[in-house]
Amino acid sequence: MSTVARSVRPFASRVIAQKPLSTPSIARLSPTLRFPRGNTRSFSQSVFWQVKKYTESHEWIELAEDGKTAKIGITDYAAHSLGEVVFVELPEEGLEVNVGEPVGAVESVKSASDVLSPVSGTVIKGNAVLEDKAKFINESPEGEAWIAEIEVNDVAEFDALLDAEAYKQTLDLE
Amino acid sequence: MRHLGWRASRASLIPVARPVNARHNSAFAPSRFAELARRETSQRQIYQSRSTDPYVNLSIEHFLLQNAPAESSVLFLYVNRPCVVIGRNQNPWLETNLGRLYNDRIAMSNNAYNNTNNEPVLVRRRSGGGAVFHDEGNLNYSVISPRTSFTRNKHAEMVVRALHGVGATETRVNDRHDIVMDVIEDSPPPPPSSSSSSSSSSSRKISGSAFKLTRARALHHGTCLLDSPHIRDLGAFLRSPARPYIKAKGVESVRSPVANVSAAFLDAPGLFSMNGVVEGIIAQFAALYGVGNDAILRASRASHLEGHESELFAGRDWVVGTVGETQASEPEIQAGINELTSLEWKYTQTPQFTFSTFPTADDPRERSALPSYLPESTRVFLRLKHGAIIESEISLSADPAVASRQADAVHDALNGQSLHKLSSVTEWVHVLDRLALSPRQSGDLDDDLIRRLAGFLAEQFGCS
Repeated sequence: MSTVARSVRPFASRVIAQKPLSTPSIARLSPTLRFPRGNTRSFSQSVFWQVKKYTESHEWIELAEDGKTAKIGITDYAAHSLGEVVFVELPEEGLEVNVGEPVGAVESVKSASDVLSPVSGTVIKGNAVLEDKAKFINESPEGEAWIAEIEVNDVAEFDALLDAEAYKQTLDLE
Repeated sequence: MRHLGWRASRASLIPVARPVNARHNSAFAPSRFAELARRETSQRQIYQSRSTDPYVNLSIEHFLLQNAPAESSVLFLYVNRPCVVIGRNQNPWLETNLGRLYNDRIAMSNNAYNNTNNEPVLVRRRSGGGAVFHDEGNLNYSVISPRTSFTRNKHAEMVVRALHGVGATETRVNDRHDIVMDVIEDSPPPPPSSSSSSSSSSSRKISGSAFKLTRARALHHGTCLLDSPHIRDLGAFLRSPARPYIKAKGVESVRSPVANVSAAFLDAPGLFSMNGVVEGIIAQFAALYGVGNDAILRASRASHLEGHESELFAGRDWVVGTVGETQASEPEIQAGINELTSLEWKYTQTPQFTFSTFPTADDPRERSALPSYLPESTRVFLRLKHGAIIESEISLSADPAVASRQADAVHDALNGQSLHKLSSVTEWVHVLDRLALSPRQSGDLDDDLIRRLAGFLAEQFGCS
């Protein structure tokens, strides 16, 4: 699954490659990649950079339009299976995290669960909304109730993560 | 151990004198613990701790959570000496009576284990949930298993089956994943009391649960009040004098009336022992996870070994035995102990909170009058983040202008200060000396008043 690494190469090389992309999520996000027309004017930068990936431990990460920062949260599935979230431990600004290291934690029904960073980077901020309203995680886990915003060290690390389809398949196995 | 011994009455039921013929199992040195626990084939592991140090036991448990193979199932049983254990996201100033606990804030500068009076210590665990009291009559069970097959009631039900097996048939799991026992009230109920009238039946909590979930693993640990000598007064360790003044984010404990399982055996005390419960839990764990007979026999035998610090046995796919202080020298376990005993973990991990002697927008509760030894104009407000003061307003004067200057002067000294570092009356006096604005205001403020306010705050925050 090398769609992301491919997508961060210079645009010209992508057009030259012209490999058909079959991953549904990427296809949906960037139709121009699927039907390269050799014309950058029709290409929408914001659509292009919106890459959202998942981990087996039920985190999501979505790259922002700037291609450098990303928001991290827990998935709908995780929020549902954890039950009512009563507290969110937010990371401090400047915290450096490696892949798989905690970038926060949530507590629900007497259970503490670490939120693991899908990629390496430096924390820009935690989502202050959750300080006063931890339950917001249950309402909008993959939307406004993100947990941390980080500056990504290397966008190529998105490569190793699951796309929406692959993540869904891990849920079907459980 | 007290009347119902840890190593007592059931010994005769177990074939302890079985010859060791080491078919598929053999004894290992205690120093092999980490290696055996990590071994990929160690799919079933059962340990009992010989240590009563809560920091050691929680750190051995955490090591097992982090290191046992991903598909393995682990049972760990331990008893802690008196301590109050708060949940990961709780506030020690709100959830415990720090004044009744060992003052580690002062002692840490000398020696962490210099607790000569054996006062209960404060512990913050890594799992969620509320505050509980532990002592030698409380058995802790811990099951670490794959996250995919984990449910929150699975292991509480396992313990209930064990309790039923020893005759405590009135026990069951409630909707908070706790174990409760129906008891007949024929004597005045111990505090914290329920509202039920005399000689009726009521449910009392005997076991509380908490969980820690990692990528692939689930840890479920629970208390089990078998025969706590503190059953009638353990609530005193869990009641903070500052409760009327503190509003905290994070997780608040749910208070429940408690009982000892031994209360069900008042007519026949000889039938009940902690050892019996230990064996019952091992048997139920073995049934739930398919542990072989060799391992069960070894594990049960371990509960009767006297004076052995650590003894390990392992077969092809299992490890059982006793652990304790010996394992504390394992670097990863030592690191866990260092973290749990640190004041940073215990105090600065506290979620944001405010302390206010008067109603505020955040915390509009009506406050009762301050002690009569303080002037009515006394105002104390603190806002803390990570256990450090980020906002404060402390003043004594009835004159708003003077009060404002007092508050500013004191805040200069308090801003950024970690509350746990203000660990004695003397340190509060030192800070509050600034209330006596320089140059001193005429007459109405004396050293004695500052000392009284320092004493009041020191009491609220459990200082010595």
